[in-house]
Amino acid sequence: MRPPNSNILDRNIFPQLSSTKLGESWMERKDYLKEPVEHIKIDGALTVDQLIGQFKNSGSLGAGRLADACDIYEQMIKDKDCTVFLALSGAVVPAGMRALVADLVRNHLVDVIVSTGACMVHDAIEAVGGHHYKAGWAVDDAELYRYHLFRIYDILVPEEDYVKLDFILSEMYSDIAKERKGIPLASNEFAFEIGKRLTDKNSILRAAYEEGVPVFLPSARDSEFGFIHWLHASQKNQQDVLQLDAFKDVPTICGICSRSPKNGMIVLGGGVPRNTIQSAALASKKGLDYAIVITLDRPETGGLSGSTLEETVSWGKMKGKADHVMVIGEALMVFPFVVASVKERLGKNFKRESLLQRKKGST
Amino acid sequence: MIDEECCGNCDSHNSYHYPTKIFCSTRYDKNEDPIVDTLWRCDDYNKVSQSCYCVREALKVKDGTE
Repeated sequence: MRPPNSNILDRNIFPQLSSTKLGESWMERKDYLKEPVEHIKIDGALTVDQLIGQFKNSGSLGAGRLADACDIYEQMIKDKDCTVFLALSGAVVPAGMRALVADLVRNHLVDVIVSTGACMVHDAIEAVGGHHYKAGWAVDDAELYRYHLFRIYDILVPEEDYVKLDFILSEMYSDIAKERKGIPLASNEFAFEIGKRLTDKNSILRAAYEEGVPVFLPSARDSEFGFIHWLHASQKNQQDVLQLDAFKDVPTICGICSRSPKNGMIVLGGGVPRNTIQSAALASKKGLDYAIVITLDRPETGGLSGSTLEETVSWGKMKGKADHVMVIGEALMVFPFVVASVKERLGKNFKRESLLQRKKGST
Repeated sequence: MIDEECCGNCDSHNSYHYPTKIFCSTRYDKNEDPIVDTLWRCDDYNKVSQSCYCVREALKVKDGTE
């Protein structure tokens, strides 16, 4: 069994040691030696959460950080005052995390999604009947080009699956533009309109539309959503062209942060989605109360994706006392463990209503 | 590569139902049906800059060898 939830964030106090003066001690020596490493035991079959419990007993390296991530996500979910933001980037959707995220949306285990445009494009590709394929390692990219196959590391997408989506999106854009009569959409309104027009229950966009979960796409233009606009707008006699206002979603996401007593962030990857959530927390003068970042990016470049969560404290994006952890690992491998462990802890009968839904219900 | 002047060798083509049907962006712009046969061609034919297997594979399907 998992040991009691104690001292999960002790690791977070160590960066503060740099503020001590020479000759002064911040902690007593004995305080550093409270918890010995317990060695991982695999006695027969373990559930995911039991394995995470063994990782917690170790409390070290990636295993310790993964166990911390599970504890922090559990805290976020159980904290009735917390709005949970999920940042999606990279190839997690084409690689196989689509149904898992849609399931989180339907079970209200995330409240707001901030995604690259590309992640939602790949969701939409499958929603209209396309597929992603396992590529293996022995691939000739010049040959893939001649077969009209696109490669994402070890995943393939047939060009026709993109093209079929393009065709459908272009028709959707015309339909949405006609309805809007020249009024530009915010990125979350755009995602809502696309989700409304998809029918696949396993789609993240569809699930978000049905459950009232806002999906912000701050980099929508830098994806097929953006480039297909060219096709849509170039059609002969096109009366209304769909318009997306890049700034219109800013007050909305900042307002969500501002009205929520607490805010938590889970980042898969990094990039624009992570920055959007952190900047909303800063702009609303709230600062994040919980943060989990799962990434392989490095801090030395100064880029945001690999920046440490401690660094975000200096901006006011995260509170100094926030429960936080950065798991250095590939999100497709790490995050399903976090979800499986936490869902096991919550049990099958656990129900959560998001703060956004409660507020909607009360108005 | 098979150098025939047909839609599968035109730079307006994208794969739609590989290898027999292609999506033609030029026809889409003109509000004409953009889904055409790979081995068809129109007066707007413009040779593709980087060739693919569409025509070769479409010919195999046509000949019944695949």
